[in-house]
Amino acid sequence: MRPDATDSSAPTGAGGEGTEAGMSLLGQTAHVRAEAVIGTLAALKDEGYESLVDMFGCDTGESIELTYHLRSYAKDRDAYVKTVVPYDAEVASVWNVYPGALMPERETAELLGLHLAGHPNPRRLLTTDGVPPLLRRSVAIRSVEEVKRR
Amino acid sequence: MTDPTEDVAGVGLLAEGLHDPGPAPAGIRRAPSGVDGLTTEHLIINMGPQHPSTHGVLRMLIEVDGEEVVAAEASIGYLHRGIEKLAEHRRYNAVGTLMDRGDYMSGIHGEMAIALAVEQLMEIEVPRKANWIRSLTSELNRLANHLVWYGTFGLDTGAMGQFLYSMRDREALLDILEAISGQRMMFNYVRPGGVVADLPAGIDAKIRAFLETFDTYLDEHDALLGGNEIFQGRVKGIGVIDAGKALAFGITGPNLRASGADYDVRKAKPYAAFAELEFDVPVGTVGDAWDRYQVRMCEMRQAARMVRQCIEGMPEGEHIAKVPKVLRPPAGEVYACVESSRGETGIHLVSRGEDTPYRMHYRAPSLFVLQALEDILPGHLLADVVMIIGSTDVMMGEIDR
Amino acid sequence: MSPTAGVIVRFVALLGLMLTNGVVMIYMLRKVLGRLHIRYGPIHVGWHGTLQTVNDVLKLLTKEDITPSAVDRWLYRLAPALVFVPSLVAYAALPFSPDLAAVQLDTGLLFTFAVLSIVPIGILVAGWASSNKWSLLGGMRAAAQQIAYEVPLLLSVLPIVMIAGTASLGGIVAYQEGTFLGVVPHWFIFNPLGLASFAIFAVAALVELNQTPFDMSEADSELVAGFATEYSAMKFGLLFLSEFSNQFVLSALGVTLFFGGWMLPWISAEAVSSVPGLPVAVFMLKAYAGIAVMMWIRGTFPRVRIDQLMQLGWKRLIPAALALVLVAGVIHKAVL
Repeated sequence: MRPDATDSSAPTGAGGEGTEAGMSLLGQTAHVRAEAVIGTLAALKDEGYESLVDMFGCDTGESIELTYHLRSYAKDRDAYVKTVVPYDAEVASVWNVYPGALMPERETAELLGLHLAGHPNPRRLLTTDGVPPLLRRSVAIRSVEEVKRR
Repeated sequence: MTDPTEDVAGVGLLAEGLHDPGPAPAGIRRAPSGVDGLTTEHLIINMGPQHPSTHGVLRMLIEVDGEEVVAAEASIGYLHRGIEKLAEHRRYNAVGTLMDRGDYMSGIHGEMAIALAVEQLMEIEVPRKANWIRSLTSELNRLANHLVWYGTFGLDTGAMGQFLYSMRDREALLDILEAISGQRMMFNYVRPGGVVADLPAGIDAKIRAFLETFDTYLDEHDALLGGNEIFQGRVKGIGVIDAGKALAFGITGPNLRASGADYDVRKAKPYAAFAELEFDVPVGTVGDAWDRYQVRMCEMRQAARMVRQCIEGMPEGEHIAKVPKVLRPPAGEVYACVESSRGETGIHLVSRGEDTPYRMHYRAPSLFVLQALEDILPGHLLADVVMIIGSTDVMMGEIDR
Repeated sequence: MSPTAGVIVRFVALLGLMLTNGVVMIYMLRKVLGRLHIRYGPIHVGWHGTLQTVNDVLKLLTKEDITPSAVDRWLYRLAPALVFVPSLVAYAALPFSPDLAAVQLDTGLLFTFAVLSIVPIGILVAGWASSNKWSLLGGMRAAAQQIAYEVPLLLSVLPIVMIAGTASLGGIVAYQEGTFLGVVPHWFIFNPLGLASFAIFAVAALVELNQTPFDMSEADSELVAGFATEYSAMKFGLLFLSEFSNQFVLSALGVTLFFGGWMLPWISAEAVSSVPGLPVAVFMLKAYAGIAVMMWIRGTFPRVRIDQLMQLGWKRLIPAALALVLVAGVIHKAVL
């Protein structure tokens, strides 16, 4: 599988130190820079990965790792494209390549504190105005006392 | 979801190049606005979140020109409970309870997804009997879910009787599931390693009694609703999602199969006992609501067939592997998926070697269907909106998580 | 008695009939639908739940009447009256027995249809005045469907009028006396032309009554309660009382036109009318049997879509009814 030429920085996978240290059972994964994501996805779509199965983000502690999970039904293979972005970064939307990313991107941006660019409807999806990005490790679950106090 | 008062006062729902009203369904003449020199206005109607027919707390903002839908937007988040965040604070044995409440109609499938993910990371081998019990409960759950879908689909069209008939059959199923797991809906039964308890004595007699009448009842249900000409007129040709669009949007499950793509996780990536069971996978052609109806009715028949095979071929053995009390999977990442009643429910699990997940992402199949709905609704009538949402069987519990 | 007293007595009797009918029909609906749904329906209040509706009426009377602030005040109050009063007046021409009809009209049939055609106007007003987009849709749908279907409804009974030679409901019932060849009762349902008319009449009547499969204006899975969403307490009660009363009127009309009214088959009219109370009992029984069939259909069939309904009406029922009038006229002139 040949991703776009401008390839990865040091792969800081979410599963521990890097994808070598923590075992990744995902199969073929490409780590690319944020700018190369759309190009990589377009190349993969041309190669036959016609479906976007999932898109989500993970707070690794220093940055946010985005994962795009693609699938080719004809070849019955899955592919993952991962990229790392800093907190509060601007993320280009891939909906032109895979319209299936419309709502997952909104959700990821909202719950991890990113900004979407090029998305037709970049509003919040799941939470109301004023709620902090819930999936960040720094945002704690409220304790019982906090809930009772409200 | 944003402040609700903003949406309606906003400029309108047609974003740049996103919504292209497709071809009109048969019989609709799209009248140009301003006909006869009259200025007309589009109404923006708010459907939900409390509404007798949206399946869960779904809020659709629909821009209508008379009765014809011009644009649609789904506004969700009314059932958001932070399942993914809560999972980071639960031990692996307890994450199943969160999955139960995601897609609450197919609790077994959700629990199985997280169990498979943990088992893959920890390389646990599940005993054969546990796999067969998992398949059995999974197909029983699929039957229960599809019966609710059938009943509510009928209710959406105005046929009230069918809902109660399907609930009658579902009561028998819930009795069986209660005997097996102790609960009617939030089972908490499938755990990493197997299932939490063995099948109770006498359960196969109960299941056999259920199966004896179920096939006849299913034929009656099919004849009553599907054989009704009014119903057929309301679903044929409505809500067409062709295979290319379904794949591009990431739709899976019965909705994808109705559009023509033959993909079932139970056949492609077999888990539990599905490699050993004999079953057919129904595939549609057109991708309209009628095909989705047919696919799910066939799936019910196949599920009953699988339940019979499970009961007759249930092996002896352990119901759970030897797993430590506190599960600590090694650091790593895994994606495990199951074929739930709505599509491919997947769990993307990131573990850092602790006793709680570092990040658990719940891939909900209905989310991808919902965003496709925004694309296919324009061009239909308002009454069709309800039918399309019903035929795709969206579940807000898993969309909002 | 003086004409004024006679009018008052008739008015009170009809009002009493309408209210009693409402009570009976609500109970009947709940029981029939309940049994169709494999459940009992009301069983606790009164003997087998018979006092349940009395309970409900009392509840409706004592409920708070909430008026939303944005409604069109006068239209909002007018709409239930516009729906209720024509329903009451429509009872006037029904022949319960040979000499028991509120008014003996020569054009009773036309009168009943004319009065019932005011009801959709009331529904439209209710939908508009509620200042609620969903009610508006319900009102618009009602206007489209009910006003459109008055044409096939009237056209379908024209063959009956032609054959019977009179538009007076008492006269039509009298025409259906006797048997054909000594075996088949002379009712219009057993007449091939009458049977065809009945097919069209039945469908058009269901549409006029807003009954499933044609209840789009109050489609409860789409529009909550449609045009009646914003009405509470007695205004809501009036709207739905008139719906039940219309059901009785059209069922009674169908019985009068096609099923011999208060007559029993193979028994002469004098024999039936000589037994006091028998004609009325027969008439009521037949009318309620028709209502029970309507409720049976209601519990089983899904709803038609509004554009499919309009196509059915304009493209199929009206041409069929016109063709039927033509055929009936030709046969009537040729044979008689």
